[in-house]
Amino acid sequence: MKWINVALATGLLALAGGSAAADTSDKRIALSNNYAGNSWRQAMLRSWENVTGQAVTDGVVAAADAFTTAENQVTEQAAQIQNLILEGYDAIVLNAASPEGLNGAVKEACDAGITVVSFDGVVTEPCAWRIAVDFKQMGKDEVLYLAEKLPDGGNLLEIRGLAGVFVDDEISAGIHEGVAENPQFTIVGSVHGDWAQDVAQKAVAGILPSLPEIVGVVTQGGDGYGAAQAIKAAGRDMPVIVMGNRHDELTWWKEQKDANGYETMSVSIAPGVSTLAFWVARMILDGEEVPKDLTVPFLRIDQGNLEENLANTEAGGVANTLYSAEDAARVVAEAKGM
Amino acid sequence: MPAAVKQIMERPWIWAYVAAIGVWIATIIFTQGQGGGDLLTAALAFATFSVIVALGQMMVITLGPGNVDLSIPATMTLAGTVATKVMDTQDSMILVGFLLALAVGLGVGLFNYGLIRLLQIPPIIATLSSSFLFQSAAIWYNRGLRIKPPPQLADIATRDVFGLPLLAAAIILLAVVVHVVLHRTTYGRAVTAIGQNTRAAALAGINVDRVRFQTYIFCAVLAAVNGYFFSAFSGGAALNMGQAYLLNSIAVVVIGGTSVAGGFANVPGLWAAAMFLFLVEAMLNTFGLGAGIRLVLTGLIIVGVIIAAGGKRAER
Repeated sequence: MKWINVALATGLLALAGGSAAADTSDKRIALSNNYAGNSWRQAMLRSWENVTGQAVTDGVVAAADAFTTAENQVTEQAAQIQNLILEGYDAIVLNAASPEGLNGAVKEACDAGITVVSFDGVVTEPCAWRIAVDFKQMGKDEVLYLAEKLPDGGNLLEIRGLAGVFVDDEISAGIHEGVAENPQFTIVGSVHGDWAQDVAQKAVAGILPSLPEIVGVVTQGGDGYGAAQAIKAAGRDMPVIVMGNRHDELTWWKEQKDANGYETMSVSIAPGVSTLAFWVARMILDGEEVPKDLTVPFLRIDQGNLEENLANTEAGGVANTLYSAEDAARVVAEAKGM
Repeated sequence: MPAAVKQIMERPWIWAYVAAIGVWIATIIFTQGQGGGDLLTAALAFATFSVIVALGQMMVITLGPGNVDLSIPATMTLAGTVATKVMDTQDSMILVGFLLALAVGLGVGLFNYGLIRLLQIPPIIATLSSSFLFQSAAIWYNRGLRIKPPPQLADIATRDVFGLPLLAAAIILLAVVVHVVLHRTTYGRAVTAIGQNTRAAALAGINVDRVRFQTYIFCAVLAAVNGYFFSAFSGGAALNMGQAYLLNSIAVVVIGGTSVAGGFANVPGLWAAAMFLFLVEAMLNTFGLGAGIRLVLTGLIIVGVIIAAGGKRAER
């Protein structure tokens, strides 16, 4: 019975789609997520619930269900996608466990006429859309900010992430590119902080004694507060530490700002990017033309909007923003413009 | 060579000191003397936390094959989380927080030994599974929220006097006490005896159960104390704060000259080994080597030190 209903609905929709902009109120969108074991992913899932729950209530789409695999494994997620195909979803929004490993399942979905939008963990299968993070630009933006703030330049300390991970290489490459274009800066030391405050604190404390005066610390997020602790313990002047939107980092920045007017900026990706992917999927279902490769906007916090963002950041979590249909339209328009 | 020097050179822990000093000298040669003192201060500050847990781990490992406490990271996290949340940045609550951390350690030790003794689960499995429970309890209790330590406690935990961190001084004293307990008390001798031959120790009239029980409690309480001070030192408890201390505690014990097969403990080596591990990372970072080479060199240097120490022992 269900199949007949779906078939009927699809048929009717095809008719409707011919005349004007298609209505998506009977479309069903699924989120396939590979992992939920950290605060970022938890916030991502909650953002999805908030935004899509409202969208379903408003009748924008018929359903927007979230599915998370337990083991963060490719085989498990591939099986999950096959189930979603069988259940007849119109679109699958995907945070993938592997860039290549799911291509087979994604191709099957496309062949079944399902729109696949991958984000954050994107897939390489050409039939799917990709909303990817430009980590390299993120690293470069940090140096560009420092160049603006510290026109005289100086020595920088770089805190990297987890060695051997793609994201670490990309952000670091961006930072080094930025420094190459701004030769007034020199990276005098580089340590791995593994995106964890305590690891960063220890690594920075170890290299600090050997370093000359540093004016800035470029980071990857999750490590700025640890760096601040180590620099404070060493009794040095506090350099400009670029933060990564974590709650403890923003809290520390706010304290310093209130105490001595400390200035810096903070940049990362908002977990709410899942909602951006949702709206993009809806646009595609709506029949709009959307380029296959889109870029996730950064969530950047500056001196002016620190308080506002800190208030919106859950304790122990990371700064978040929920995207709207208009935001999605803007991201798509930008991609078309390029 | 004078007899005294010869005697010292035969100690298994001497190689950890040689290695630590060698690495430190290599670093300051590279920086042309800059920051040598600061580097030592930092090494002492961070080694303190390794030594606190390693003291407990050393006693447990000395009990003999199969004895190891894998619940140290989770115990640290739980004690640090509970203490910082209850203290809630109030200086007046510092003592209450400390007592609570001790209570958490006591509870963890009781639970661990209950699994080992009453349910007859091998210690490695018992402490591994209990660590999941403690970690979950910490997550449930506070959801990873970082609450700052009371300002006075943070000050105590991070302060140094002429380059010697206060906390390090306290833990050096603690190490001396443990050294004396190990070599001069019935309890300490019993731990060593059980590690050498449990059956013989039991026949000699040692209450094996009681000694093992006390040792697991001792280890858990130290892990909890470490969680308390480390949260104070690093600006609040975090859910992953203990992670680095599992393998670190075992490595420090082994590099420090304690026999991993049990029955032979070595307190002086713990400090050298803990400083050595920190200084190696600092040295390789200072040299500016890539991450891959750094890890390979760290592994090779550690193997080298253990071979040097072990080779010396074999000659005897």
